Amino acid sequence: MRSVWEMLLYLPIILVILSVLETCRHDDPKKILRKTAINFGALTAVLLLGSVVVFFIHKYF
Amino acid sequence: MEQKLTLMTLGAVALTGLLASMAMPAERRKNGIAFALGWCVPGLGHLFLGKWRKALFFFIILGATYLSGLWITGFRTVGFDDNPFYFVGQYGSGTAMFLSSMLGKEKSFPRPDLPLGLYDPALLYVCVAGLLNLVVALSCFDAKPKESK
Repeated sequence: MRSVWEMLLYLPIILVILSVLETCRHDDPKKILRKTAINFGALTAVLLLGSVVVFFIHKYF
Repeated sequence: MEQKLTLMTLGAVALTGLLASMAMPAERRKNGIAFALGWCVPGLGHLFLGKWRKALFFFIILGATYLSGLWITGFRTVGFDDNPFYFVGQYGSGTAMFLSSMLGKEKSFPRPDLPLGLYDPALLYVCVAGLLNLVVALSCFDAKPKESK
């Protein structure tokens, strides 16, 4: 159950971190939004793929 | 220990701002002051440089992150003895540092009306808000002051 809550709180904190970091680098709001979305997608995809790999390693090895 | 850390942090921020102001070219000396102001209150450094939209964004987003973490922990911050990493993270912002010394006197514990699993991420929110503010304050060195027309 604990991990479920941590997963729910993962989304806002990652969005905050990425948007603040991009806002430090750029001035254009559209560029900030686009880069934040791209980075968020890439990070989430890496985490999900990693989770799938770990799941299968635990299941079959 | 806590007092020593507070004094060391204040000294480091003042020294960084001062040395940076001296080392930078004349037209960018404001950036050193902006760093020190930005460390004190999220967004104040960018406001000082005339970038009020960024300042407002940083103030709202970092303030909301910090306050949401505090709300979940019942407005008690973690002490140095309980978790030194989360504690030191709050020193990235002067406001968070000041609040942590006020709110961290009583031992922090999970709120009974909220799930226990929220407690650790909430402490992380408070810590991340402080650390991100340090990044925001340091970005003042890179920002060009808005030219007055």
